[in-house]
Amino acid sequence: MFSKLKYFIAESWLLLVSSFLFGLLIAVADAAWSAKIAQNKAEKLSGLMTSLVSDANSFEIAIKEANLPGNGGQTVKTDIYKALDKQGNCAGFAFIAAGTGFADKIELVIAVDARCEKLFGFNVLSSNETPGFGDKMKNAIFSNQFKGAPTGKLELIKIGDAGKIDNEIVAISGATVTSTAVINIFNKSIKSVKEQLQQKGLITGNGG
Amino acid sequence: MAGESSVKINYLGALTAGLWRENPTFRLLIGMCPPLAVTTAVKPALTMGLSVIFVLVCSNLAISLMRNLLKPHLRIIMFCLSIATFVTICDLYLRAFAPVMSEILGAYVPLIIVNCIIIFRAEACASKNDVWFSILDGIGSGTGFTIALCIMAGIREILASGTFAGIAVMPRGFVPWAAMQMPVGAFVTLGLLLGLASLLTAKKAN
Amino acid sequence: MDRVYILIMGFLSVVIVNNFVFTKFLGTCPYLGVSGRLDTAFGMGMAVTFVTAMSGIMTWLIDFYVLVPLGLEITRYICYIVVIAGAVQLVEMYVKKFFPVLNKSFGIFLPLISTNCVILGLCLFINIWGTNNLLEVAVLSTGTGFGFAVAICIMAAIRENLIMVDVPESFKGAPVTLITAGLLTMAFMGFTGMIR
Repeated sequence: MFSKLKYFIAESWLLLVSSFLFGLLIAVADAAWSAKIAQNKAEKLSGLMTSLVSDANSFEIAIKEANLPGNGGQTVKTDIYKALDKQGNCAGFAFIAAGTGFADKIELVIAVDARCEKLFGFNVLSSNETPGFGDKMKNAIFSNQFKGAPTGKLELIKIGDAGKIDNEIVAISGATVTSTAVINIFNKSIKSVKEQLQQKGLITGNGG
Repeated sequence: MAGESSVKINYLGALTAGLWRENPTFRLLIGMCPPLAVTTAVKPALTMGLSVIFVLVCSNLAISLMRNLLKPHLRIIMFCLSIATFVTICDLYLRAFAPVMSEILGAYVPLIIVNCIIIFRAEACASKNDVWFSILDGIGSGTGFTIALCIMAGIREILASGTFAGIAVMPRGFVPWAAMQMPVGAFVTLGLLLGLASLLTAKKAN
Repeated sequence: MDRVYILIMGFLSVVIVNNFVFTKFLGTCPYLGVSGRLDTAFGMGMAVTFVTAMSGIMTWLIDFYVLVPLGLEITRYICYIVVIAGAVQLVEMYVKKFFPVLNKSFGIFLPLISTNCVILGLCLFINIWGTNNLLEVAVLSTGTGFGFAVAICIMAAIRENLIMVDVPESFKGAPVTLITAGLLTMAFMGFTGMIR
């Protein structure tokens, strides 16, 4: 037994020692940079949210780790942010919603107004689409249709007037599947967010 | 042992071999994933190249330091361990100081771990040679790889969006080739470049 | 029924629509190196499928039950590569002991599988996709390996016929293979958007 242990150590001491050293190296790097990484993430998120909510001056977390319906009946935890304007009044709400498809994932930042009646639109936080097709979601003709649209159920139509703001969204030509995915993310998340905000009494007025 | 003068020549050779004679992409045909995947624009390609140089130099250094202690059956796992460590550090650095690039490159940064160039240089050079030689070899191979990436990315970016590193270079009225941004553009460009490389080598030999 | 539908669509998605070789350029090295003959290509494809399935499941389990609860996500890459190298070694030993004939035909390819980008790529992408269900992980990993096998077999079949074609001298070998691969990706692009 003891000789076996000795053999084991003789064979692998280099592996063990270097694992320890490499672990130390990574720990040092992480300690030095993790704050900066977290700051980058927060800056990106607040930048995306500010571009959606035009009156926003600052953001605070309204509901921490709210449950949103995810793929296949599962729930996903996400923070819902409250946008404050210069006077400190509520200017709207924003949150991250993700849609997982078949071997794919889209993350959107969605913003709604203070009464949760109208959409402010969406921004793409991350998507790992096929190169060359990825930017279609960011297409202004498509994303502008969401600005000012009602928070009720959205519907995707193939042909229509993209300039008219209502709950009918005209699909991106050649990317119907992507358009459907975006609409699904909206329809799944908005209702739940609205209910949760109402439960907490965060929506001012009797907005629907 | 060779004389001092020939050793010096060797050092220079280690630095320049990777540039053309043993260029990983064009001559050795190893590490072909990044030249295809991250070359839609010059900036991410350059970032990728610099990351590979960093990882290559560091892993060559580490492996060269422990080359006399390596057990043959634990060799590959030691290589993987040291490469993965430096890739993790590189990934953290990019996420901290170049978040945009880190996002564009995405999973291709950790994929440097399985980039054949690094493990090939570790096996062929660093586990047999001294520290300085290994470092120079790492710089040489890495630079050759970066140059290959930038040539690919330059061609693809100019044809796909009419820009070079974000600066417009094509005349107005240029119609971008969307196909160059897609996988097909990557494969065909690399194929043509490899054909050109072997044509040049054949001409040189004659 | 819904679950089965998700699994089937996920499988088709990684085999055809999101084929790792054609859309993410992973596994290009063996794709160019080993695709000379159909039988070796098939063997390689099957070996990769097996290792991919195994390491995909194992890395997911480690990630989900060890790394995330302990907050050790930072060592993720190291864990992944060690698991993959270990899995390849395991397969190598197993094949050597129980299928000596198969071992002979695989030859040097077996140890080389650990540096195949498809495998590490899959482990990373499973993490990025946020798959949180063991069955789905198993199906996606098997599908990815299978997609690689399909790609490399198609390529090998084309290359066996390419020998008889009069290709310019300097384009023989890798260059013409790459251009063929480009045309193949164009064919596979026809599936884009069929499934997400």
